[in-house]
Amino acid sequence: MSDDIRGGERGERGGGGRQQSRRPFFRRRKSCPFSGPHAPKIDYKDVKLLQRFVSERGKIVPSRISAVSTLKQRELAQAIKRARFLGLLPYSLR
Amino acid sequence: MPFYENVFIARQDVSSAQVETLTDTLANLVTEHGGKVTKREYWGLRNLSYRIKKNRKGHYVLLNLDAPPAAVNELERNMRINEDVLRYLTVHVEALEEGPSAMMQARSRGEERERERSRRFDRDGRDGAPAEAEGGEA
Repeated sequence: MSDDIRGGERGERGGGGRQQSRRPFFRRRKSCPFSGPHAPKIDYKDVKLLQRFVSERGKIVPSRISAVSTLKQRELAQAIKRARFLGLLPYSLR
Repeated sequence: MPFYENVFIARQDVSSAQVETLTDTLANLVTEHGGKVTKREYWGLRNLSYRIKKNRKGHYVLLNLDAPPAAVNELERNMRINEDVLRYLTVHVEALEEGPSAMMQARSRGEERERERSRRFDRDGRDGAPAEAEGGEA
């Protein structure tokens, strides 16, 4: 009897959630930093915020890396370009 | 009337008092054409990220406008003529923001951090007395 119970437990463990976390390329799903209740407003005057979405070279970081939603990425790109025009952000570095 | 945000950059070798008079004349221009200037912000002399017309620094001024398009056209025309204005950007917005803009908030936050740093420096002056406890054990 006791052997049976143990066997069942083992089987559950093998097929349950544990195996999923052991998967080699598991990535946590990222959420858009501009959606949600306390999301910051995208504004071309907010240099500190925009700087986080610009690479070391001064390029706009692609949304697949920054996890910004498509709609917000367009808005963000517009804001960064405006900030560049006003000399608040560089067009290129180095 | 539609809302606009206007930012312009004045040359670095113009004094801040001159920038003030320049913004006055530009603001008057808008009111003459039937518009309103709801907010004026002077961001100070900032470093430009790259050189604009051989300048490395510039005086930034933000104007929030509630004005007819004709007034904005006239404003932009004057900015193009004026040689002290390096660059200007006028953006149509759905609503004008109340209170200080992100730029002014960042500046005031920076000042607070300065104060915090000086306070920490004062506090770290004293020393604890761990040597006494060791002596008691022995």
